Amino acid sequence: MKVPLSWLKDFVDVNVDIDTLCEKMVGIGLEIEGVEYLGEHVTNVKVCQIKEIAQHPNAERLLCCKVDIGGEIIPIVTNDHHVQVGDKVPVALHGANLANGLHISKGKMRGEESWGMFCGAEELGINGDMYPNAETDGVLVLRSEATVGEDIRKEVGIDDYVLDISVTANRQDCNSVLGLAREVAVALGTDCRMPDVSYCEGEVPTSQLVQVDIVANDICKGYFMQGLTDVKIEKSPVWLTSRLSKVGLHGINNLVDITNYVLFEIGQPMHAFDYDDITDHHIVVRRARDGEKIVLLDGKEYTLNNDDLVIADSEKATGLAGIMGGARSGIKPETHCVLFESATFARMNVRRTSRRLGLRSDSSARFEKGIETYTNNLGLSRALHLSQQLGCGKITCGRVSIGQAAGERLVQFDKRRIAKLLGIKIPDEQILAILHSLKINATLQGNTLNCMVPPYRDDISRDCDIIEELIRVFGYDNISGTLLPKSNITCGGKTVESKQIADVKNVLCGLRYNECVFYPFGGKELFERANLGDEGYIRVLNPIGEELSLMNRSLAPNMLQCVALNRARGNDKLRLYEVGKVYLADKLPLEALPVEQKRLSVCATDTDFDTFRCDILQAVRSVSDGKIHLQRSDWQLLHPGIAAEILLDGRSVGHFGKLHPQIAANFDIDGDCFYAEISLDGVLESARSEIKYKPFAKYPSVSRDFALLCDEDVAAQDVLDEFAALPLTESAQLFDVYRDERLGVGKKSLAVTVVFRDKNKTLQDADIEKQSARALKAIKEKFGATLREQ
Amino acid sequence: MITDIKTSFDGEIARCASVAELQDIKVKYLGKSGELTALLKSIKDLPAEERPTFGAKVNELRKQMEEVISDMTARLKTQQMQRQLQEERVDISLTSCPERGALHPITLIENEICDLMVAMGFEVLSGPEIETDYYNFQALNIPEDHPARDMQDTFYITDSILLRTQTSAMQARIMEKRRPPLKIVCPGKVFRSDSDASHSPVFHQIEGLVVDKHVTLCDLKGTLEYIASHLFGKQTKVRFRPSFFPFTEPSVEVDVTCSNCGGKGCSLCKGTGWIELLGAGMVHPNVLENCGIDSAKYSGYAFGIGMDRVAMIKYGIPDIRLFFENDQRFLKQFGK
Repeated sequence: MKVPLSWLKDFVDVNVDIDTLCEKMVGIGLEIEGVEYLGEHVTNVKVCQIKEIAQHPNAERLLCCKVDIGGEIIPIVTNDHHVQVGDKVPVALHGANLANGLHISKGKMRGEESWGMFCGAEELGINGDMYPNAETDGVLVLRSEATVGEDIRKEVGIDDYVLDISVTANRQDCNSVLGLAREVAVALGTDCRMPDVSYCEGEVPTSQLVQVDIVANDICKGYFMQGLTDVKIEKSPVWLTSRLSKVGLHGINNLVDITNYVLFEIGQPMHAFDYDDITDHHIVVRRARDGEKIVLLDGKEYTLNNDDLVIADSEKATGLAGIMGGARSGIKPETHCVLFESATFARMNVRRTSRRLGLRSDSSARFEKGIETYTNNLGLSRALHLSQQLGCGKITCGRVSIGQAAGERLVQFDKRRIAKLLGIKIPDEQILAILHSLKINATLQGNTLNCMVPPYRDDISRDCDIIEELIRVFGYDNISGTLLPKSNITCGGKTVESKQIADVKNVLCGLRYNECVFYPFGGKELFERANLGDEGYIRVLNPIGEELSLMNRSLAPNMLQCVALNRARGNDKLRLYEVGKVYLADKLPLEALPVEQKRLSVCATDTDFDTFRCDILQAVRSVSDGKIHLQRSDWQLLHPGIAAEILLDGRSVGHFGKLHPQIAANFDIDGDCFYAEISLDGVLESARSEIKYKPFAKYPSVSRDFALLCDEDVAAQDVLDEFAALPLTESAQLFDVYRDERLGVGKKSLAVTVVFRDKNKTLQDADIEKQSARALKAIKEKFGATLREQ
Repeated sequence: MITDIKTSFDGEIARCASVAELQDIKVKYLGKSGELTALLKSIKDLPAEERPTFGAKVNELRKQMEEVISDMTARLKTQQMQRQLQEERVDISLTSCPERGALHPITLIENEICDLMVAMGFEVLSGPEIETDYYNFQALNIPEDHPARDMQDTFYITDSILLRTQTSAMQARIMEKRRPPLKIVCPGKVFRSDSDASHSPVFHQIEGLVVDKHVTLCDLKGTLEYIASHLFGKQTKVRFRPSFFPFTEPSVEVDVTCSNCGGKGCSLCKGTGWIELLGAGMVHPNVLENCGIDSAKYSGYAFGIGMDRVAMIKYGIPDIRLFFENDQRFLKQFGK
């Protein structure tokens, strides 16, 4: 909300500098987004009066003037031949800066002294709305009443600040100059004046001019009309258009300007109807019919539905209530009779319609936030007062009033609630004084605080609202910190799951992986590069762009994109991981919240399969002691020959391996890249059990090495598992794989170390032979692997 | 004979340079079939009266030789140790080492705040990112078509399901299930349709919620002072400014003294000495009542801290997008 300081001063005396004012406003909750001094770029320009004009001796097109700048006569050379002796004009003196960026210095023009320059409107940054005749080119001739020697900024109205104030969503009443003035008065501890709303009515009764029916009385709570006859449409005076100009509007004609003025000053959106355009002089406020069409002031046609509220006459809709008037109901030069509409339309309704049609206006913005019937009458009266002041016509007699103007509301509560909620005590007399400054009539009866809340404060409905008013005026600086001295002791802590995730992160950081954070969504194009298909994605209805529209079903696309970005920037040795979520819908479109599965993605470019495998297994092992089995993975992202699927206690929890060369190519990743994606939720289902001490064996272990000849595709783990299954085996590990022509094509030799131990006695060779023979027999039968001759 | 043996022994000892050679000398003279041993054995060939003298001489020599060998052994071992130490010498000057991977700065901030809050008796909980309109808005005193919805540009999935715009969505979820006393923090991702150097469509909040008897605005300030002083240093001050959130009343914007200039005013704080950090307030009684908690008996406070913003201020990160770009050179800076 933009507000010129000069306009605020109509209603409240401001006796502090602008910085203090802003600080005080912030202190009570009005956030200042910006402060603009309108005259910032115009310095050292004064009102002067031309005393003499003579032809320049050396230049036909120039004139030499002598001007009075307030007690001093100085020479000015000009090329403007319209100036006359006695004219008061702006003169930029030595050192002056102008709105168009010009800097003025003393000098000689073709040999004649010129101590400055006469200025036009553009050089002062003003237009015809702000000063009479300022729309013309050339030197601006000022009003004859202008004071010679005065700073030009005062004369042309740019010695003014415009404050840009961010009004919170609950304070619709502050979206007006008057509302802000009320707050400023509270902040400065002074009084606020009300605008003049007096006017004299003429003889024509309003009710004779128009009949109003509110059909949709559920969404139109108040509707008030009064108007003017014998209307003269003309330009508004500069004092009015100048103010509109400072809040960003252009002057149009007196009546439209008045409605705009009231919109900003009182916060009441108004509409001025041309009486002749209302068929049968009958206004009906009703819901639109489904499919009903209307052409609005912007010249476009809109299709409406039953949720939209229209202002209609007996024939058809003429305007979209609270949003925009119809194309044919506006004020025209020949308009002779006008009716002002001042109404309250349900905010949700205006909001929905305005959103659906993509139509936003100053008016709809205010209706969306809520307009009180209180301001309906205030705004209408102010408009009539201004009409009279501007001599726009004769005011009709009486007001068509539908709906009850809201009165004060009682909010009552135990005053001890104040200290209970705030933790500090505000003295009773101060409570009453603060509420009084807010125009809340408050009285104390014992401990009961009775507050009569003014109608425009619809944000105040209960005790806590009053308490907030008290503390924001009393000052939040009076709150001093305490640490819950009276509350119960509670037992804090993290969830088991979050500790487990921290464990996984700890292991991966220890293995030199860096944690990443990605957006949990992506786009079709990205997901296609990862060959993930386009089914099952939860879609954002209103994404920022297509590339951020689908919720992840895998963490891979974002990670691989990140790898590509890093490599493109020369970061070759990458070790990255993310703990993120994928969103798995049972049914699309969603009817219930989807499963949000926690996943771990890990990626490395400076490793090999075995090292990567160990890293991944360590991460899994850090939180799970379930039985891990690896089998060949057929996940389309990975190289089919260098990828494993992790089965944890028989459940698949993820895949890891070398990135499929096609996927790597899709992402422009050259060189080796290993990727893993694991469901943490899945892993945590087999969470580690409590650590229990196990006594270690007293008897020595015996270790035996075996070299086993088998086919290439025998899985080493299967062979190890056979040894591991023996009752006396403590561990079985692969320590070498050997390939040689002499072994035969497609053959390999697995070198295995098995450690045997009996916890009850020292093992004898015979025991080990017996054990080994059992395993070797099984291995031969199942995998065709034979003991190699050493 | 004895003299010959001694001379020869002394000569060999003088030439001896290693423990192994010394061992050979020991065997040669003092071993089972050594020269001195042989000499001693030859005693039986001597006349009885010479035997004691001869025996004493031989034993004397044996003792001497054993002492020499023992001294020599010690000396040679010392030498050998010295040589070994010399040979094993390495260049110890290199200071680089494999760096531990780094946690993401957002995780660092989350851990720091959560650990603080746990110490104060807060539980750390998390909740869904895809959330219902009810928990994200309605339960928080923001009915449909309320203008407060404009405060946040919401990503919708369906009419009634959305990406949560605030971790406050967890408030009602918790309060519906549990009774006071409640001290909770909920960190997590939140989503708003906004994107520039200081706004990201995805960012991270941590919600704080306390509901109990006797919870006051002073407690809110004390808690935030506690957090701010830990995050930004002991001297950090906290300032409340009036604001509006539909689910708290009173509502405040919370500023902390600029950690860069200590409150004197600099470019980071735009000369004000203060940095806007979070929104907070006393839980609106309507919210308590929506969850079946008696607002006459219980009060509470809530706050929502933008963790990305905290990290940007604390670490001096100029652009929020760096968090999501994950350039490894960025990530590695946060390793420890």
